[in-house]
Amino acid sequence: MISTMHFKRFITLALLPSLLLYAFFVIVPVFWSMYYGFFEWKGIGPLKYVGLENFSEVISDPIFWRALKNNLIIVAASILGQVPIALVLALLLRKSSLLHRFIRSAVFMPMVLSTVVVGLIWGYIYHPQFGLVNTVLEHIGLGSWKRAWLSDRSANMYAVSVPIIWNFIGPYLIMFIAAIQNIPSEIEDACKIDGTRPFQKLFYVTLPMIRGTINVVIVMCIAGSLKAFDQVFIMTGGGPAQSTELLATYMYNNTFNVYRYGYGSAVSTAIVVISGGLIAISQLVFRNKAE
Amino acid sequence: MKKMLLMGLTIMMVVVLAACGSNNKAGSETGNSAAGGSGQISLSIWHNFSGDDQRAKTMRGLIEQYQSAHPEVKLDVQAIPADGYKQRLKTVAAANELPDVFLTNPGSMIAEFYNGDLIQPIDDLLSAHQGEWSDQFLPGAFDALSFDGKVYGAPINLSPSTILYYNSALFEKYNVKVPETWDELMTAVQAFKDNNIIPIVMGNKANWVANSTVMSVLGDRVTGSDWYLNAVKGEGASFTDPEFVQALTYFKQLADAGAFQDGANSIDNAQAEQLFSQEQAAMTLGGNWTLTDLASTASEDFLNKVEVTTFPSVPDGKGESNAVTASTGTGFALNKKVEGAARDAALDLIYTISGPDAQKAIAESNILVNYKVDMDTAKATPLFTKTYELISSVPFAPVYDAYMSSAGTEALNNGLQELMLGGDPAAVAKKVQEAQGN
Repeated sequence: MISTMHFKRFITLALLPSLLLYAFFVIVPVFWSMYYGFFEWKGIGPLKYVGLENFSEVISDPIFWRALKNNLIIVAASILGQVPIALVLALLLRKSSLLHRFIRSAVFMPMVLSTVVVGLIWGYIYHPQFGLVNTVLEHIGLGSWKRAWLSDRSANMYAVSVPIIWNFIGPYLIMFIAAIQNIPSEIEDACKIDGTRPFQKLFYVTLPMIRGTINVVIVMCIAGSLKAFDQVFIMTGGGPAQSTELLATYMYNNTFNVYRYGYGSAVSTAIVVISGGLIAISQLVFRNKAE
Repeated sequence: MKKMLLMGLTIMMVVVLAACGSNNKAGSETGNSAAGGSGQISLSIWHNFSGDDQRAKTMRGLIEQYQSAHPEVKLDVQAIPADGYKQRLKTVAAANELPDVFLTNPGSMIAEFYNGDLIQPIDDLLSAHQGEWSDQFLPGAFDALSFDGKVYGAPINLSPSTILYYNSALFEKYNVKVPETWDELMTAVQAFKDNNIIPIVMGNKANWVANSTVMSVLGDRVTGSDWYLNAVKGEGASFTDPEFVQALTYFKQLADAGAFQDGANSIDNAQAEQLFSQEQAAMTLGGNWTLTDLASTASEDFLNKVEVTTFPSVPDGKGESNAVTASTGTGFALNKKVEGAARDAALDLIYTISGPDAQKAIAESNILVNYKVDMDTAKATPLFTKTYELISSVPFAPVYDAYMSSAGTEALNNGLQELMLGGDPAAVAKKVQEAQGN
């Protein structure tokens, strides 16, 4: 018993430094930021208490709601794009032959690139005059589809979603492959003995067995998409005319371009609340299904 | 994971901002060393000459020159890339940890340091070197760096933002007249469009470009400078006035006529200059940066085709018909906390990097200065010499974003993109007034 006590104490001690750092750099700033949300502050000079004014302005600003809508487009694109593509690829690429390993590395490659590089590369792919997309469209006779992908308000949110999908398929693919490989071989044998057809095996064996992983991946998708910032910031900066503004770019632009630190803090607080809400909803949905 | 890191950094910045609120380390250190009588003075200086271009090398050379001439001064030099410079400076200002000497923009940026009571005047330095230095600046050079009759910085460059660069070979080839009036401009736009040449190339992804290089001068032509400065202060003029809406309408007309290339809002300035130097575009508007970029990237053959002029006049405009918008240029400001022997050393440093010899060296690095220099034309490029001559012969007008508040500027920047996508001038004017009025 004494040794377990010692062991527990050791765990506490060992966790303490990182816990303190986490509290100091993550938990405390969240509340600090909430506090700043009650002030009008330019970053220089005195803070002026304005009560809930910043928060009510956030709620009444149509750009904030547009940013939220754009974020939800990214969430949807991630869930409907990343998850199915990663799943299909995982089913096709679970063997470990040379070709399969090569394709797996190719799919994983963008994950290794800095997201800034991804933004720059796709910025060039979408270049209105000599970008790859427009050049290809021209050559295959679809010249009328050509457009300034990142400037055209009817297309640019979808255009910026593509690199984000492309960027993060890799890790989900790895998670799915690991989950599929964890399915006990006894079940495979049982399938063989019973003469299961491939699609039956897929829907009645494989998918139910990796259901937990799918749930985790979807939660990660939601959380990741709400934080989306870097690729979009590099490709469009939230423009033109704030048409690709996301919650994070909206917060950044207000804080560091317009120097409204108080308002930016209020927006950050709103992001924390919205993220928490969406994660909670998705957890509830999956819990109900699991039961 | 990258995203996490970014969020982490942002959060960390907030903590640092908050934690250092009442710390004034920089000042007390300086004070101690000066009072201690050890003979050692420490000074910190921040600037954004971190690049590899000629001017950056010249400026770093001047600072090194000071350092070797003054071994008794311990100089802490920080060269910060221009893109993040303003943010870094604002962050340390919020923490009350500004460096002793630092480069600042004129107008609204230095005004924030002045309003925050963070800087001190340098009039005594200017009067000490009156004849050979401070009298030689061009008229109005100190205007945007002064408050209450006191000067807080000496400009080390002149920053025009609306020089019209054009490819004379393309104008000749398609037999187009270089536009001097609005109608001629519209004719030229149509002529180049018919020949599949971009009339005016613009890289407005970072949305200040349309504002600084087109709207500033177009607005000035229509309304005149006085109206603009009054509107900024909210004294007897407002951005919802019909003249400003008219200026925005002109801008929209240009955009609707296809003067700017498709997707101008999604490429950056460097990519736009690339299209210009590949001779796919006939004109571009820009400042000193265009000059430096073209000089370092484009071919000699192309540079010989480039000519400079002013933006065309508009019908019934109230402004000067040939003015170029220019900000008086950046200058070095002095932290309020520097005193005693450290202050003398700091003034000496400012003189070394912005005095007569410095101004000449800067001009010879192809940077326009707000100062009368006898330039050695052999050292500068022909295009630079042409631009210098143009600039010396025209009146100046204010650059919009040097005077408007950050919020007002951002509203106008976004509004111009809105207009390029088919927005309504009156609605944009209203948003600008709301943001600026706050």
